[in-house]
Amino acid sequence: MMSTAERLVYMANQIARNFAAIGQEAAAAATADHLASFWDPRMRQQIFALADAQNNGLEPIAAMAIALLKKHNAPSPQTGATVFAGADGAGHDDAG
Amino acid sequence: MGGLRWRSASLARGSAAVTGVDPEALRAAARLYATGGNAAIYYGLGVTEHSQGSSTVMAIANLAMATGNVGREGVGVNPLRGQNNVQGACDMGSFPHEFSGYRHVSDPEARALFEKAWGATLDHEPGLRIPNMLDAATDGVFKALFIQGEDILQSDPNTSHVAAGLAAMECVVVQDLFLNETANYAHVFLPGSTFLEKDGTFTNAERRIQMVRQVMPPRNGYADWEIVQLVARAMELDWNYRHPSEIMDEIAALTPTFAKVSYAALDREGSLQWPATETAPLGTPTMHLDQFVRGRGRFVVTDYVATDEKTGPRFPLLLTTGRILSHYNVGAQTRRTENVAWHPEDRLEIHPHDAENRGLHDGQWVTLRSRAGETTLRALITERVAPGVVYTTFHHPSTQANVITTDFSDWATNCPEYKVTAVQVSPSNGPSEWQESYQAQTERSRRIEPHGVAAE
Repeated sequence: MMSTAERLVYMANQIARNFAAIGQEAAAAATADHLASFWDPRMRQQIFALADAQNNGLEPIAAMAIALLKKHNAPSPQTGATVFAGADGAGHDDAG
Repeated sequence: MGGLRWRSASLARGSAAVTGVDPEALRAAARLYATGGNAAIYYGLGVTEHSQGSSTVMAIANLAMATGNVGREGVGVNPLRGQNNVQGACDMGSFPHEFSGYRHVSDPEARALFEKAWGATLDHEPGLRIPNMLDAATDGVFKALFIQGEDILQSDPNTSHVAAGLAAMECVVVQDLFLNETANYAHVFLPGSTFLEKDGTFTNAERRIQMVRQVMPPRNGYADWEIVQLVARAMELDWNYRHPSEIMDEIAALTPTFAKVSYAALDREGSLQWPATETAPLGTPTMHLDQFVRGRGRFVVTDYVATDEKTGPRFPLLLTTGRILSHYNVGAQTRRTENVAWHPEDRLEIHPHDAENRGLHDGQWVTLRSRAGETTLRALITERVAPGVVYTTFHHPSTQANVITTDFSDWATNCPEYKVTAVQVSPSNGPSEWQESYQAQTERSRRIEPHGVAAE
């Protein structure tokens, strides 16, 4: 069974891998937006801390996304999603 | 488009080896869908309960848009839900990041509406989904859970993870019709009421809000909403709803797509399809007529990212799980009468070829093992499943089918990947250690103090 830390890294990588087809930069923005929209603040704080560690297991797009999110200190998710979607016509839906 | 055509042709050929579907039949079905007039897609949990579930839904939406099969009667993309009121629950903001009407909690306008009505400050951050609640519980920071009408110990994947999370919490409240399996971990159990004992609505996949009418008073004395209100009042919240219609009025006042929904309107019209607004007071049978809410449709680039759950020498078979008509999900409501005769136990369906390889005969006890755990159940040898695939239902707690399923889930929604678990099957003498200890716990936790015996 995965530890909480392992699971968070796994989840971030999985999201990033699914956005990869839209290109690295857009995928990083979409992943950052996804984490801001759907992860609770504690999960985001945990992944920030994990990203600071060496050999954290984060793949490049996920690492870029977390750096982006950290820089903007969790932008307003709805606005982020809308702006992102309008900007380049690719992104994600909340498919729940 | 030339490139796209080439790619789809090679995909049809390539997929035949994996799916067993004749490429010509697949091509004919695709052409018929695109050119045969009105075409609607209905999909079930076989689409969503995969690591790629939401990608597939987006691909389906792309397909419907590309072929013009949206925005008029007789077309569209329609999910067949796993339970009768999934749509209604989703509409009411049961996601941890949404208010009713699919408004994100970070939306300041929506939040202000609720804050004004409730006289409280609301969090603008998303909450936790169930698997992450359980993680946070084992981390010691998630301490209490109020579970209504859901048996997560049996229905959620990786039972040992669920059990560890529930055991770590300080206060688990379970409200259900019966002492379900999750109630083993409850500190407080509250009685539920059946759909016949309360007024309310069910909303189906075509957004149709339908009245459910009370036919008898609740045997436990209170409808579910009354029990919630009693709990709220005990927490010093001044809740004073006298009838579910008043709750619907509040929903209408706070949810733009429900603005014209009321018990009176539902009584008069029979049912309403949201959005029911000032401009469409009788509801909206067909959505996306001239355009989408966002304007033009958006094609989403999707990719097939294979699941990390892999078969290999130790776990060479794929387990897929499902349900049958005569049981409702984990059977909390359907295992308690003689109707259980329709489906008295969960069986492991296995192809004759795979059974022969393992020296198994029909009806024999077998061990089903995955990376997550193991259980035993009786084999059913049948050609209904393909070679390499085994199937079982999860209606009976003694089977513990979700001890086998893993933590893998859809990348976007975390919908569990119930349809894919790598397993091995081998002959067995009987129940596993987990099943025996679980059975003992089940009996222990259901002891009832004899009536009239004075407590110490």
